[in-house]
Amino acid sequence: MESTQSPLLEFRHVRTHYGRIEILKDVNYKVYEGEIVCLLGGNASGKSTTMKTVLGIVKPTEGEVLWEGEVVNNVRTSERIRRGIATVPENRRLFPHLTVLENLEMGAYTRTDAEGIREDLEKVYELFPRVHERRSQRAGTLSGGEQQMVAFGRALMSRPRLVIMDEPSMGLAPALVDQSFETIQSINEQGVSVFIVEQNANAALSIADRGYVLQTGQVVIEGTAGELLANEELKRAYLGEA
Amino acid sequence: MQEKTGVWATARRFFGRVPRWAYALAALALAISVPLLEQADLIQTVWLRLGIRSLVYVLLAMGLNVVMGETGLLNLGYIAFFAVGSYTTAIFSSPRLGYHVDFWILLLASTGLAMLAGLLIGLPTLRLRGDYLAIVTLGFGEITRITFNNWESVTNGPGGIPQIYRPMILGLKIDKPGEFYYLVLIFVVLVAIMLTNLKSSRVGRAWNALREDEIAAEHSGIHGTSLKLLSMVISAGIAGLAGCLFAYYQQFINPTYFEFLQSVLVVCMVVLGGMGSIPGAIAGAALLDALPEFIRQAFSRWLPDLLGEQTMDSLPVAVQNFFIEFDRYRMLIVGLVIVVMVIFRPEGILPDSLWRREVREEDPREVEKTRQKLFDFDEGHQDLEA
Repeated sequence: MESTQSPLLEFRHVRTHYGRIEILKDVNYKVYEGEIVCLLGGNASGKSTTMKTVLGIVKPTEGEVLWEGEVVNNVRTSERIRRGIATVPENRRLFPHLTVLENLEMGAYTRTDAEGIREDLEKVYELFPRVHERRSQRAGTLSGGEQQMVAFGRALMSRPRLVIMDEPSMGLAPALVDQSFETIQSINEQGVSVFIVEQNANAALSIADRGYVLQTGQVVIEGTAGELLANEELKRAYLGEA
Repeated sequence: MQEKTGVWATARRFFGRVPRWAYALAALALAISVPLLEQADLIQTVWLRLGIRSLVYVLLAMGLNVVMGETGLLNLGYIAFFAVGSYTTAIFSSPRLGYHVDFWILLLASTGLAMLAGLLIGLPTLRLRGDYLAIVTLGFGEITRITFNNWESVTNGPGGIPQIYRPMILGLKIDKPGEFYYLVLIFVVLVAIMLTNLKSSRVGRAWNALREDEIAAEHSGIHGTSLKLLSMVISAGIAGLAGCLFAYYQQFINPTYFEFLQSVLVVCMVVLGGMGSIPGAIAGAALLDALPEFIRQAFSRWLPDLLGEQTMDSLPVAVQNFFIEFDRYRMLIVGLVIVVMVIFRPEGILPDSLWRREVREEDPREVEKTRQKLFDFDEGHQDLEA
């Protein structure tokens, strides 16, 4: 599916620093329209920094971040979201004192088309009947799994082209983890690209098209999900198979 | 949900059913009636003068509420913007430097310069959070006051600027307290309407979102810095406007009107009324400004009248003096009121619904943090054993 079109999101030789410490060391990623791309890696490998760089919270000290073929190094976070990047942040970060509906409405903050917002709200309710049930409840009173759904819903409310997800399965009960990956798949089927950071390599690769493996700020392995699943080194390091 | 019974619950239900605009109209009618009562000799002029001062504080509290209540940025130097507005008007409408600029121009200039000051202090500082912002704004407030205190060639230093001209509005000279009262009231109503509309707009929702969780707000596409700056500038402008009206009414200003304690007083008004609530800011300001005067009048005038001269005379001298000098203790009572409120009704007198939830409900994020701390402790322990 690649090479014929230009990527939606691209990192070209990106380096980032926190102070004098180099976090990302010359990394290259590509996310194409309609893909699920998975980023694997251990602690302190630069996964979260990658996500922050996509959003513009961290600025590259070298290299370029491209969105739809345009360099966006100096485009601020809110503008990137306006252009079609949405996020399911680490720990979900809902507004706990707002109701579920108000949280979803905050997701549509950048939009002004009332009609389209209502349509998308219906779509979210259709995708998550539970969210519809809970719509007038405070987000902070929901269970972890329900909050996850609201976080997904909120991301979709901006009608994004790409959703980035930082460890969506973290803190969920095991039974909910599978469900959450199914949801990601169904979001993807609506034509939204997904760039996902995960510890749970098996589950993530089972739904992903391609993947990258980060190690101390460098991409050490990249390939299709099938290739990664078959990779011996990766099996030993991440997939828990000897 | 089950309906509660009892007098309190019934009363609460009844008052809850009255629409909010009805309360606003009632408050407005009450405010309009004050000069009429004075005209009819039913109340003394001192109450009218107090009313004018209270209305100026209402403007200040509504203004501070924008930045502190809605956006959650603690500003401890808010009175500096009030000072900028006051001095702008005083300098350009008094014999001090020989200027006599038109009311409307000075109104705009006072508001505009205060907004500019808000922009200048906001630009470098809004990256700071919480306590740091409070310290920087505190410093800004003091610097402003000291500048006016020492800039003798223009402001006449501690001596202040006397003989500020009365304003001419549409050929009408505003002179009597009743006229000033209505002038300030008109601006209070205009500002309240503007802020109410702003609160329910996208901007207002973004401010509240930033107060709730800045990172989550940014992730929803809200540009935090520019919206925080906007709230700082609007808030400063309202203080500048209030300062202009205050200078015209007072006819004399000097730096002692703009001390740190004044900033704190306005902060108390906003907290007492309810953060993020416009009716709250109005109620908090009116209450905190008028309460001391009520206490003074109650003990030095109403109570002796009630007891009668003979009863008063029969009381020991110490008690008599206590009543007469009770106004010395009035700030003590005001402090007590604030303490009691913070303990029993931390959300304020007329709270905003979102703020009430924030104060009253357990924050699940905090619960989660505690849980994780315990959890991590367990893990760490296991590591040690291994």
